[in-house]
Amino acid sequence: MKRNNRKKLSVSRIVIYAFLIILAFIYLAPLLWMLLVSVKDNAEIFTSPFALPKRIQWENYTFAWTAGYLGKATLNSAIVCVTALVLSLVFGSMAAFAIARMRWKFSRLMMTYFLIGMMVPIHCVLIPLFKTFSSIGLYNNLSGLILPYVTFSLPITIYIMEGFFENMPQEIFEAACIDGCNIYKCFSTIAVPLSKTGLFVTGLMSFVANWNELLLAMVFISNDLKKTLPVSLSKFVGPYNTNYVQMFAAIIIAIIPTIVVYCCFSNQIVDGLTAGAVKG
Amino acid sequence: MDKLLRNKKAIIFFVAPAFLLFTFVLFIPICQSLYYSLCSYDALTKPEFIGFENYRQLFLNDKTMRIALKNSLFFMVFSCVSQLVMGLLLAALLTNIEKGRNFFKNVYYLPCVLSSAALGLLWMFIFSPKLGINQILAAWGIQGPLWLMDVKGFINLPMKVIAFVALWQYVGQSMMLYMAQISGIDKSLYEASYIDGATKKQAFLHITLPLIRPMVATAMSLNCIGSLKFFDLIFNMTEAGPNHQTEVLATHLYTQGFKYFKYGYASAIGVVLLVLCLVMTFIINKFVKVDSYEM
Repeated sequence: MKRNNRKKLSVSRIVIYAFLIILAFIYLAPLLWMLLVSVKDNAEIFTSPFALPKRIQWENYTFAWTAGYLGKATLNSAIVCVTALVLSLVFGSMAAFAIARMRWKFSRLMMTYFLIGMMVPIHCVLIPLFKTFSSIGLYNNLSGLILPYVTFSLPITIYIMEGFFENMPQEIFEAACIDGCNIYKCFSTIAVPLSKTGLFVTGLMSFVANWNELLLAMVFISNDLKKTLPVSLSKFVGPYNTNYVQMFAAIIIAIIPTIVVYCCFSNQIVDGLTAGAVKG
Repeated sequence: MDKLLRNKKAIIFFVAPAFLLFTFVLFIPICQSLYYSLCSYDALTKPEFIGFENYRQLFLNDKTMRIALKNSLFFMVFSCVSQLVMGLLLAALLTNIEKGRNFFKNVYYLPCVLSSAALGLLWMFIFSPKLGINQILAAWGIQGPLWLMDVKGFINLPMKVIAFVALWQYVGQSMMLYMAQISGIDKSLYEASYIDGATKKQAFLHITLPLIRPMVATAMSLNCIGSLKFFDLIFNMTEAGPNHQTEVLATHLYTQGFKYFKYGYASAIGVVLLVLCLVMTFIINKFVKVDSYEM
């Protein structure tokens, strides 16, 4: 009886593992296949899509890199995302600190005002922003992307940081106050260093979201030299329509940095993003 | 101390940047959008007030809008249900195994951090009529369907394919949300139930499920809003084609606003989208409140 039970258990275990492995295959196979295709030539895709390439076509990568301005695009993406990240963290935690710790009449109202932003889809501000930005010279300008990115990262930043600041014991601030700390010092040398986890989590969330953002970047930027990574990829569908191999080379170049970073810090990233989503 | 915390100057200094950004980049544009949606407005003309004409046009005369609404709603319902089922299933399986849990977790989560634009292009290739999956099928002598080009049926095949890809990309997120919640459940509850003779299945149904209901609501609202806003994958997989059959609200807005330059009309679509998002959030929030009351 007992042995029977153990046997049954291991059968169900095998089924579970088989299922998980098949699923993992569905997740990894498309990515690996893309890697394989990106070093073939166009004729090979049709004749022998799964075989190893006869000759590794590195020139796909050089073509994608130069024709798609991918180097420039990566740089643009980095500039936009890093700036937006820093600004949203600074502004967001400042506002969160004032709302959570300082005493004023409208603090709750202000919080509600910021939280409404979480529900607003980016699409419904697209047209007014586009009109305004093109009239004040922010069209085709990286700052025109940074501003909305910061704004749309703020609600989640404020929400999570407010939770962190709220839960800090009052005594730390009282002690600091007695030692002659002013409110700005309290914020920068006590509150912020104590909420590193929160900063990491929110920073990660907004960075990933902004790095992959397509719609705004597509609408606000038309100059090839100002495009961010997701937009310059979409470019490969049009003019290079039949050149699948180059398109794949471009995609690989675009997602490799993310994958490398993910492989190194996957546990922190997954847990951080989940923690952020749980709180959001 | 109290004086320090009531320092008006400091409060203004702290809140002002975020407040100004929010007002100028979010709040005022929303108001403008509401106004534009009541105007006849395109690239060449100035906005001219025409009342609810855009909305009348949108709901009564626009066939594409009907397709877009149908697809968006299908997409929303499908992703809520499928993410719930698959996410829970994966979370339950992964919490039950020891070896390789981390590996599977990280693999399933990977697409969530990759750009949907890039993944959209990849899946467009995999589901193209002569390449990808159809090559595998052809090797076994099966004539595959046209996938993204097939437009028969009420919910057409391309939408189903896109919904599948979206599930593939984002199920990791739901899975992680549920796993986080499950790992927070007190282990002694399970031990007690096993002593009372409960099977694993019963323990899951009567302990795990009721205790993670609040998280179900959170994950659902994330999915709902996310799927209403959905744009990147569709734009790169089908460009809302063939013949507008895979149009959703977001792509319809993009086409009207930035291909045909009908700003007023596109704003009306944006307002519809906003209202849908607010209504869904409201409905789900009500659901959450009931839940935490039961807890």
